Amino acid sequence: MGKRSFERTSGALLAPLIVLALCLVVYMCLRSSPLVVFLAIAALMAGVILLEMTHNLEAVHELIERHGRGTGAVLVLFALVLPFLLRHSSYVMHIALIGCLYAVVALGLNFQIGSAGMVNFAPAAFMGMGAYTSAILSVRFHVSPWIGTVVAIFTAALLGLLIGYPTLKTRGYYLSLVTIALQTIFTLIIINTDWLGGPNGIAGVPPYQVGPVSFGTNLVIGGLELPRQTYYLYLLFLVLGLTAWLAGRLYRSRVGLAWNAIEQDEVVAASQGIDLARMKLLAFSLGAAFAGLAGAIYGHYVSFIGVEDFDFNKSLMLICMVILGGMDNVPGVALGAILLTIVDEKLRDFADYRMLMYGVILVCVLLLRPQGILPKRMRKYRLPGLEWLNHPIGGR
Amino acid sequence: MSVLLAQIINALLLGCSYSLVAIGFSLFFGVMDIVVFCAGDVGLFGAYVVAGICALTGVYAALVAAGSSWLGVVIVVLIGACLTGLLMVGMYKATIAPFEGKNPLMPLLSTIAAGVALREAIGLFYPEGRNPQVFPELLPRGYLGGNPLLSWRNLVIVVVTLVIVAILYWFVNRTKLGLSIQAVAQNREAAIMIGVNSRVVLLVTFLIGGFVLGTGGFLLGSYYGMIRFDMGAMYGLKGFSAAVVGGLGNIYGAIVGGLLLGFVEVFVSAFIPGGTAYASITAFVIVVLFMLFRPEGVIGERTVENV
Repeated sequence: MGKRSFERTSGALLAPLIVLALCLVVYMCLRSSPLVVFLAIAALMAGVILLEMTHNLEAVHELIERHGRGTGAVLVLFALVLPFLLRHSSYVMHIALIGCLYAVVALGLNFQIGSAGMVNFAPAAFMGMGAYTSAILSVRFHVSPWIGTVVAIFTAALLGLLIGYPTLKTRGYYLSLVTIALQTIFTLIIINTDWLGGPNGIAGVPPYQVGPVSFGTNLVIGGLELPRQTYYLYLLFLVLGLTAWLAGRLYRSRVGLAWNAIEQDEVVAASQGIDLARMKLLAFSLGAAFAGLAGAIYGHYVSFIGVEDFDFNKSLMLICMVILGGMDNVPGVALGAILLTIVDEKLRDFADYRMLMYGVILVCVLLLRPQGILPKRMRKYRLPGLEWLNHPIGGR
Repeated sequence: MSVLLAQIINALLLGCSYSLVAIGFSLFFGVMDIVVFCAGDVGLFGAYVVAGICALTGVYAALVAAGSSWLGVVIVVLIGACLTGLLMVGMYKATIAPFEGKNPLMPLLSTIAAGVALREAIGLFYPEGRNPQVFPELLPRGYLGGNPLLSWRNLVIVVVTLVIVAILYWFVNRTKLGLSIQAVAQNREAAIMIGVNSRVVLLVTFLIGGFVLGTGGFLLGSYYGMIRFDMGAMYGLKGFSAAVVGGLGNIYGAIVGGLLLGFVEVFVSAFIPGGTAYASITAFVIVVLFMLFRPEGVIGERTVENV
């Protein structure tokens, strides 16, 4: 008993410390030069691989899960403090913000690609649907951005159902072609429709407003002036927290299990009573809702949206985030999205070479570590009365 | 009437260039069950090699000076196509072979990434690569019998496509290597059992596929009269769509699909008012409809799902 209580207290300390270390890596990446970013990510990878080789990675996952309160407190604290640490550079704050934004979209995309194994090349279209809905409503019809955002979530989910419908009939390469085609149709329709801004985009999207406070102004707390990104950063931390929590719950629920079953074998899944159509459409509409929410916030934040923000290249980038982070691993996907956004922004220093390096890096990562930063976890089940089996089921 | 005829010829030409990429896709899919997404960019690379040889080096000028100019053209295009074939083999080695037998999403993404890298490399390292390049007029000018509908250039484009298809048909059905490709496509394990060297077959397939893609890129450049570094993405997507509409893995299907897409695009932009903007959209809508209601394509067998 004594040993167990020791384990409990040391774990209660260790889990927040690990999360804090991760937060510091992200913070360091945000603040430093590209070289340091690569070194930090390399160090992180080395740490993960070391844990993996000593078979401790799963234990760390479980430790963090068990001490959710402590780790959650660390994350909330980090989120509250971060704007103050970054207050001198609104650009770095912008990177953090965009990172969180893409993390939300990537979490949604993960339902399709990671959990249910359905390739979707149109996540940027979901995001664009949300952004355009909310922007059009607030610019053309002067609807409150908050209401616009709520509507955006629903329209994006509807588009998700539309794009998800072919998954009931096709799969594999055919599905990837259908989603690529739908993504391309989406961008082409926007470019060719003047009412939707056409190639010029929509300018002057109003910021959110709470009472007299507009999110487009600087935030002043106790004499400290924080750049206008602060409001959105806090909003996105909240949204990311909620979506990550929801994604984690779904992963552990019957729904997550059903998605994994579909990924492994559709026929077997169906024969075990899983409603394929419902589960697949749920993965698409829920993922699209996440993306639509993020897209709407993006539009109100940058106040200008153009079709190039939601084209095929963006979709590709989002897919990379899921894969590099680690498919079907919620913290991995969020971490992957944030780190890849940072890398992407840091590569802006190399303006012309950015996309080339991006392509080469992606090929290298796929060759060297296709399972991503934090690999997919094995599901463990302890059947009541059969604890001694302790047998991992469902992993690969 | 002459408008209709002109549009039919236009559609035929566009269809021909789509068909060649679609053939590339179908060849690769046939032997490896893999979609090589960088095919469009690889094909455009062929066009850039040809343009580069003509504009940057003295090779083409020397060839023209040495003798008849059409021999020079043939040699230059062959160099371009061969280099493209080699590039495709390199792509296979670097981005496809390492992922054999793993999650099919991996080669899909790695070839897309390789396509992005290739596209950007062209944009960066070709002189003035970010700007559209004038494609050299290598095909004969003038009109057949003074008829403005029948230019020599268009005739050559169609004839070259037909010749490539004919040679491919002969190669796949009449030579030992071609039959080995078919054997590997049908059942790889069984092919290895009866003594087919599958590694050589795969390399040869990618070499030939690259060759066809490079020629397709050259024809595309000649058709438009200009090339741009990022044209390959759309070209590849249309080619893949054509291959799927026709029936993926089937060379004849690729031709049918290419012509179908070419006709749809040209006719929508020509005969529907304001349709130019919606030509590509219509093409993709048709692709989606095909995927939903006839996924095996125009020519293709319905595959039965094994449990």
